[in-house]
Amino acid sequence: MSDHHPEHIASVGEFLAHALELEYESAERYRELAGNMSVHNNPEIAELFEYLARMSDLHAQEVEEHARDIPLPQIAPWDYKWAAGGSPEANAAEQDEELSYLMTPIQAMHLALHNELRGRDFYARVAAGSPDPEVRRLAAEMAEEETEHAELLEQRLARMDPRRATPVEDLDPPNMPE
Amino acid sequence: MPQESLSGQPSRLSIAITGSGGSGAVTTGSILLAAVARAGYYGLMTRSAGPQIRGGESAAMVRFGPGPVNGMDDRFDILVALDWLNISRFYDEIPLGAESLVLTDPAGGAVPAEILASGARVVELPLKAMADAVAGGRLNMAALGAAGALAGLPLAALEAEATAALGRKSADIAAAAVACLQAGYATAPARRVTAITGTERWNMSGNEASGLGALRGGIRFVAAYPITPATEMLEWLAPRLEKVGGGLLQAEDELASVNMIIGGSFGGVPSLTATSGPGLSLMMEGLGLAVTSETPIVVANVMRGGPSTGIPTKSEQSDLNIALHGFHGDAPHLVLAATDIRDCTFTTQWAVRLAEHLQTVAIVLTDQALGQSRTICDPPARFPDELPRVTAEIGDEPYRRYALTASGISPMALPGQPGGLYVADGLEHNPRGTPSSMAKDHAAQLEKRRRKLLDFDYGPWWAEISGSGPLALVTWGSATGAVVEAAERLTAAGHPTRAIALRLIAPLRHADLAQALAGAERVLVVEQNQGGQLFHYLHGERALPAGARSIARPGPLPLRPGDIVAAALATLDPQTPAAAHAAGASPALTPESLGRSAASPTPDTGPGDRPAPSAAQEL
Amino acid sequence: MEGASTSSTYQAPVLKAKDYKSDINPIWCPGCGDFGVLAAMTKAAAYLGLAKEQLAMVSGIGCSSRLPAYINSYGFHGIHGRSLAIAAGLKAARPDLTVVVAGGDGDGFSIGGNHFIHACRRNMDLTYIVMDNEVYGMTKGQASPTTQPDWRNSKLTPRGTGVRRFQPAALALAAGASFIARGFTGDPSGLTQLIVQAIQHPGFSFLHVLSPCQTYQPEQKEWKHLVHESEEEATDDPIEAARRIQADDGMSLGVIYAQSLPTWLPPHLSQASLPEIEAEFHL
Repeated sequence: MSDHHPEHIASVGEFLAHALELEYESAERYRELAGNMSVHNNPEIAELFEYLARMSDLHAQEVEEHARDIPLPQIAPWDYKWAAGGSPEANAAEQDEELSYLMTPIQAMHLALHNELRGRDFYARVAAGSPDPEVRRLAAEMAEEETEHAELLEQRLARMDPRRATPVEDLDPPNMPE
Repeated sequence: MPQESLSGQPSRLSIAITGSGGSGAVTTGSILLAAVARAGYYGLMTRSAGPQIRGGESAAMVRFGPGPVNGMDDRFDILVALDWLNISRFYDEIPLGAESLVLTDPAGGAVPAEILASGARVVELPLKAMADAVAGGRLNMAALGAAGALAGLPLAALEAEATAALGRKSADIAAAAVACLQAGYATAPARRVTAITGTERWNMSGNEASGLGALRGGIRFVAAYPITPATEMLEWLAPRLEKVGGGLLQAEDELASVNMIIGGSFGGVPSLTATSGPGLSLMMEGLGLAVTSETPIVVANVMRGGPSTGIPTKSEQSDLNIALHGFHGDAPHLVLAATDIRDCTFTTQWAVRLAEHLQTVAIVLTDQALGQSRTICDPPARFPDELPRVTAEIGDEPYRRYALTASGISPMALPGQPGGLYVADGLEHNPRGTPSSMAKDHAAQLEKRRRKLLDFDYGPWWAEISGSGPLALVTWGSATGAVVEAAERLTAAGHPTRAIALRLIAPLRHADLAQALAGAERVLVVEQNQGGQLFHYLHGERALPAGARSIARPGPLPLRPGDIVAAALATLDPQTPAAAHAAGASPALTPESLGRSAASPTPDTGPGDRPAPSAAQEL
Repeated sequence: MEGASTSSTYQAPVLKAKDYKSDINPIWCPGCGDFGVLAAMTKAAAYLGLAKEQLAMVSGIGCSSRLPAYINSYGFHGIHGRSLAIAAGLKAARPDLTVVVAGGDGDGFSIGGNHFIHACRRNMDLTYIVMDNEVYGMTKGQASPTTQPDWRNSKLTPRGTGVRRFQPAALALAAGASFIARGFTGDPSGLTQLIVQAIQHPGFSFLHVLSPCQTYQPEQKEWKHLVHESEEEATDDPIEAARRIQADDGMSLGVIYAQSLPTWLPPHLSQASLPEIEAEFHL
């Protein structure tokens, strides 16, 4: 059962394992969404999620840099100390209702922005509450990085056409595949 | 009194034993059959019973002779009546004639008028008094002794088999039985005892034979749901499967059993289930899944009177239609039918190998007459070829489960095999196995599934052919015994006749059948169902020559050689009633007695015409 | 009782979760709860270190039943309602495999209802994951046996079915299942743990997964506010389990009931050879 207490992360190895898992999960989730959108014929959003997945890959590589030569514990999937709701950047339940095959780029960016901020919040909690000073330092650094990611997304968002904030209606009725 | 057959062969004898529950008619029949075997003969025993679970009226019918016996005769030579209670149930099943003997004890009641009407001679014996004279004596054993003497069986054979059958209960019961046998044997008119040197023979029922065929074919997983008359096959298999390292799973219904064997086969284990008509109907969707996913399975269908609940305890050959055409979609598959009890072993084994090799569904048709009858026969033949399941060898290329190949057979990966991952599917699919609605994939896979069956070389076992001549009788399943005997009688009477019994019905071997029918001037398709199911199938396949006729009669009564002879002669000669009578059809079997209108002459019908109701169709 | 191992004794799996995902993109609508099951199943497989070729996913017909195609393992996408029968046959013939059955509420409780109760009773070592969205999604939104009786959005039952819904956990308990749990696709780590526990449980494990359908049951987005972790540990007392299930609002998550009961497999004895059996027929 999830611990729900990020501030309980007490070692650098454990922290980096969380950070890696966060980015891997994020990349996986974006790739899955990209594939889903591609299947549902929304290439614009598919490409956007692919871009976000590549961003997560890069972030993962950065964490891997931090984690070089540091032994990482293997953590069972349910033993991660996320706050309630699971991995911050890949939280399924919160995002699901915003997902739609007709979603617009603005909606997708809001979703991504939300993820980055949750990631930042996770790091911030660790930075504020971990008993280990090195962990706090690292977490603060990563929180800062997440803030930068968020700003990048906000800039991109600002360049988007505000008229495309809500999806158009699909006039066709639902299909019955089987 | 045993009739000489028309061909001059050594004779055969038919004995029927009837009685109410508790009188031991069935036990008597079993002992008689075993004694027949011990005396070196071949034999066949069928049974009939009322619907009561216990105590009902029952009849055992035994026919035996020096050569293989694959069907009942036109009438019984001896009727042993242990009592007359509810005998009316069996009048139709135990035809008698003026040459027949009825053994009865007057103390048990008067002989019914219907029995006397046959003209049979009554032999009165004090059976009850004989039995009462022995401590623990039973009337049925005294009757068996008398019948055995009349039949010319050695007393020692009767004693030995009675002891074997009853000695398990107690030595006293066996001794009493032997004493009654002796008493009965002594009272019968003295008759020359014949015993012959027997060849190696087996005692088996059709359901047991099918079970053996399954094991020989490699079946090691069975899912079972009980249904009359298939249950004994499953019960025979249950402990023996375990002994050879396999297993049986009792399912909650036939919907489950067919899907269970699909699962077992997907896992790599040859799998089978057995059922009857109502169960086969339920299984249809599952069979389609097996065809489309190319998962080998075998369904043994032991046919009974249909449609719907029908007549569960009687035989009929009326499930050919559903076996051939019951699938939705185009779903080529295998339909085989055993020609007699012994052939249940060979045909089932062959069906398993074919299903495994061709990765398809094999429906093996037998029926209640085969399944629940018992025979003394030659050891069953073995199917000689290995016909293995073609399994996949995983190379560097990504594995494609439904790859298009020259033979149409795609090598099959088995769970546990690295690199062979695939998802079997009832959805149409591409060669990799991914669901596809594309025209080219549907066309390619349909063609593959058909071609793999049509292109295969099935060898010589597609049919049993005997005799020769311008008259050809085509048949299948349990009708074969009567048809072959009818062909022999017709030939002896100056009408050379060939008999063709199909073992592989689908896919149809057109070229082979055409060759078998070459030169035939008259073709008759003989079967035990109302609709002429094989006849219409062969016509639809354009496999019958002009003027072919259907001789079809539904169950529950078995087709008898004399009926077929009469019907065949009627097609040869427009003067139908005289011809029928001349061929020796018993008065009890005229069309009138069967509730049908009198025969009338009928012109030849052309190819493709549905024959008008005529003497050729009425037996 | 079995449970997931703690981190300190955990062995590194050779394969990662994404190695168990096939290259086929699911056809599920974006936002479909079934994605959560796919993710959890792959994580569970990775955690357990299952060889891909030793895992077999068996399904019926429906959106959820598409799952096997999306997992890198052997699979059988069978006919509607019969997945448990296929799985039983496969497990009986190949007890060495890990067999996981997946499907929806229609496939499992309507047409598959009879096989469901017998699978619970038979207690073969199978894991059955039912993704319950209280609707027939693939055929465009009809009521299923777990749909609320007053749901009026189906053209087939425009005034609602008027028939009370099953409580799947109650059904499973009454039919004799030895492991009953409930999960939620919006709780991926919890769901992963439940799948691991279900697979590890020796016997028939029933995992009832609440899996919202965004297209035909958009109200189910409220589920994430309604589900709650069960405050009680799993019980092995069926009477207590019955009480909890009947008192439950149907939204509590966790293992409800886990009991060690005899599992069923056909015995494979190999005591005799075929010639010995044939000898029975000799005169």
